[in-house]
Amino acid sequence: MKDAHRTFSRRDLFAISGLSAGVLAAKPAAAADAAAPSAPSSPVSVAKVTGYDADLVAQLDKMFDQIGGIGHLVRGKTVAMKLNLSGASGTGRHTGLSAGQTSWVHPNVVGALTAIFARLGAKRIRLLESTFRKRYGSPLEDTLLNDGWDVQAIKSAAPMVEFEDTNGLGQAKQYSTLNVKSRPYIFPAFSLNHSYEDCDFFVSVGKMKNHEELGVTLSMKNLFGITPELLYGLVPKTPSASQWVRERVFHYGQVPPPSGVPQEIDLTSNRYEGWRMPRLLTDLCGARPIDLSILDGIETIIGGEGTGMPGTKHGKPGLLVVGRNCVCTDAVAMATMGYNPRAGRHEAPFRVYKNPKDHPTEQMIPPEEWHQYADNTVLMGEGAGIGTADLGKIELCGVPIKDAVYDYEAHWKGQAPV
Amino acid sequence: MSRAYLGLALMCAMVPASGKLCAVDPARWIPARWEGGPLELSRRAKDKAVAEDASTRTATARWYDAETLDLLDGTPINCLLVTFSAGGESEVEGKQHQLVREYARAAHKRGISVLGIVYGGADPQAVAAAAMDAGLDGLAIDGEVPAGFPEKLEAALRAKGSAALVIPIARDAATARTSKAPWFAVAGVRPSARNLADMGIRAGASAEPWIESNIWLVRSFRLGTAWRPVWIDQRPKPTSEGDYIRCIADAAVAGGRWIVSLDDELRAKLLRKDPQALATWRSMGTYLKFAEDHAEWRSFVPYGNLGIILDTAGENPDIANEYLNLVARRQVPYRLVPRCELSAAALSRFRAVLAVDVASPTEAERKVLRDFAENGGLVVAGPWWGDPPKDDAYAELPLGKGRVAVYKEDPPNPETVARDMLDLLQPEVMGLSVFNVPTAISYASTGDSGKRVLVQLLNYAGRPIERVTLRFSGIFKVARFYTPESAPIDLAPRPAANGRTEVLIPKLAAWGAVLLEQQN
Repeated sequence: MKDAHRTFSRRDLFAISGLSAGVLAAKPAAAADAAAPSAPSSPVSVAKVTGYDADLVAQLDKMFDQIGGIGHLVRGKTVAMKLNLSGASGTGRHTGLSAGQTSWVHPNVVGALTAIFARLGAKRIRLLESTFRKRYGSPLEDTLLNDGWDVQAIKSAAPMVEFEDTNGLGQAKQYSTLNVKSRPYIFPAFSLNHSYEDCDFFVSVGKMKNHEELGVTLSMKNLFGITPELLYGLVPKTPSASQWVRERVFHYGQVPPPSGVPQEIDLTSNRYEGWRMPRLLTDLCGARPIDLSILDGIETIIGGEGTGMPGTKHGKPGLLVVGRNCVCTDAVAMATMGYNPRAGRHEAPFRVYKNPKDHPTEQMIPPEEWHQYADNTVLMGEGAGIGTADLGKIELCGVPIKDAVYDYEAHWKGQAPV
Repeated sequence: MSRAYLGLALMCAMVPASGKLCAVDPARWIPARWEGGPLELSRRAKDKAVAEDASTRTATARWYDAETLDLLDGTPINCLLVTFSAGGESEVEGKQHQLVREYARAAHKRGISVLGIVYGGADPQAVAAAAMDAGLDGLAIDGEVPAGFPEKLEAALRAKGSAALVIPIARDAATARTSKAPWFAVAGVRPSARNLADMGIRAGASAEPWIESNIWLVRSFRLGTAWRPVWIDQRPKPTSEGDYIRCIADAAVAGGRWIVSLDDELRAKLLRKDPQALATWRSMGTYLKFAEDHAEWRSFVPYGNLGIILDTAGENPDIANEYLNLVARRQVPYRLVPRCELSAAALSRFRAVLAVDVASPTEAERKVLRDFAENGGLVVAGPWWGDPPKDDAYAELPLGKGRVAVYKEDPPNPETVARDMLDLLQPEVMGLSVFNVPTAISYASTGDSGKRVLVQLLNYAGRPIERVTLRFSGIFKVARFYTPESAPIDLAPRPAANGRTEVLIPKLAAWGAVLLEQQN
């Protein structure tokens, strides 16, 4: 199936027409764990936005009103925003485009959120992300400068704005242990940078983009970046940053976390990343519950989570999606991306492509095939009781999904109308 | 002016070539390929490279009409490389020589020098005689030629009493670098920035676009402090204004000159006085003028606290070049130390040394490097140092007050080494930090013993970059931003942590230069 990127099956057609046939029918996915009937629901707001120069403060204000308001939740509180910067240094780009236009959340979205939280009375606003290659401890602000962010403007948008790179201990002397409060799949708890414990209101600011292994990157997937590489990455013999690879612990379960850190529940469980990662992300969302999900799909990358993936394209969906419940928000976002939020393995976007040349055989099921699978993270979240992925049970605000859809799959395959 | 270069200038001034003086001091030659005439058409037919479009072929045939010299009005171009000999049919060569003679005479009246391009297959004696007859200022040897051809050609010229210069356009940098000539011409690459994914390469989230650049190549010829003219020869495909100006800037940033080369379609349009083509041509003139208006920058010496030891006689010149290319790509400023000049005094100017291109070091070389590390420096070495790691890419070992990073591979992968430099060197050691430049390359140099620092940037992407931040070690009170497109603007330098100065460039279209000064 070497030409998998170009094949187009009846299943593809079904998935792409998923809004009418799949999304609204909300059929249960065969591969998903049983849905928790009591999974909570929360309103989700969808907006179409012309570009990053639009009045994002006014737009987000309106969306927050639509989901019931957040003022009472942030007033006098420490608000922490986990930014989706793909763990990167900011140098991964498509030529001529900023990272904010492709794989990162855009600084204008973050600036608008900072201003709103400040106006609503937040006591302290913290911007968080775990970034690569921090041997000499260069601050998160420098990573943001690498994408041309106006860090000073963001700092001055509120009385107290702080930045912390959470890839290690940061400003603390020890890691915080956060127990998974939802039904745990793989880990019962995680050791994390203190920032994820020392906040009253936690916001996942994610990018609406595809993901090579997991189909989509949304607010739940964004939380993979809260795991500290300097802890979960194996301690190398030399301090070469390139050897800090937490993926061996999380994606493939090849090695246990370091001693003193919470261990896996069942070491005999499946080691395939397409099985593990959706469950791991759900565990992370259970350990550090998301109080507010913000999804930036105004501009994005299609076909993968980073510009380095062959076939990825820049797109302008013009979408913002906001909700209090991360599962509900991600489900709605998937629908606006043209996907069935209840899709199962081997259905778009969870039928994923991996070049065998780039992945060891043990990471491929079946081996030597481009065509692989991932489980649906939002259904895992639903199964864990975090929220419902059933569009019929979610109050939708703002732009109706049918008017908001930007068909990622068709754009990726070059089949979208120009 | 170097002694070698002074000699060249005197030779041009004192020894008439065909009874005339060089029209322009060769060090000031701003060259352009100016190919045309029947021989050019014949040569292309032989190479099956004739343009399909009739108007393009006509433009090539007519290129030595005197009117094409009018195109040079308002541009600094003052040296034309014209098609002269390719060892073709004698009738065609004869017509070409006659055409070139008339054209060269007209060019000389305008103060423009003319060099004949000579290709493989040409007869040195015949070419020398024809060059004398045409009154050429020199001959540029292009492409594959038999061994010893340049020397034979030069001997034939001198035997006839001509002082016309012979400039071989080297196909590889290593050959040209060891030349004692007071100037160089070397084949370069077409400057560009491309997405790795578009090249079918799977890369990580931090992978930068792939940049083809000649900045490292030009600076690699600067083994001493003196500037010498370096000509970069590469021909862009039919392309846009942005590509042409980038070719000019790419060669000029480190003090070189691109041998301006126009694609056939643009030349045909210029003959037709097509407004868009003329705009492109004017824009090129603006960039060329900008480079010459700031010729003083060529006297600035390269900046870098990292020294790269370059073995000009090494067995892996391609690998050695890749270290220079890729470390520059990572925005790590460096200076070169020729291996033959490796000494404690030479290293005293550095805080770190990249010594992976030192095969079979002598005991004296080892001692120099060991002493450097023991006194607090960082030495990055290949496995020849001893005790290379078995598993990791490199091992970092303390030594005295300093450390040594020993790589496992021999030679270490240049891409890996370049990337690792960002881990091995603290920002303060690098001296220069540049943010938001994934499609740009920076080049830092200093004047007035470091009181003035020049950081040049070239954006290889077609779209501008907004908000580029620079940090440089030291306190600077004045920062001015120069671009070819606009008058200089003052930037607001502000103090940054660890005794550094930070400036923000609002927008970088293509070529920009920040001049930092300590003055009040």
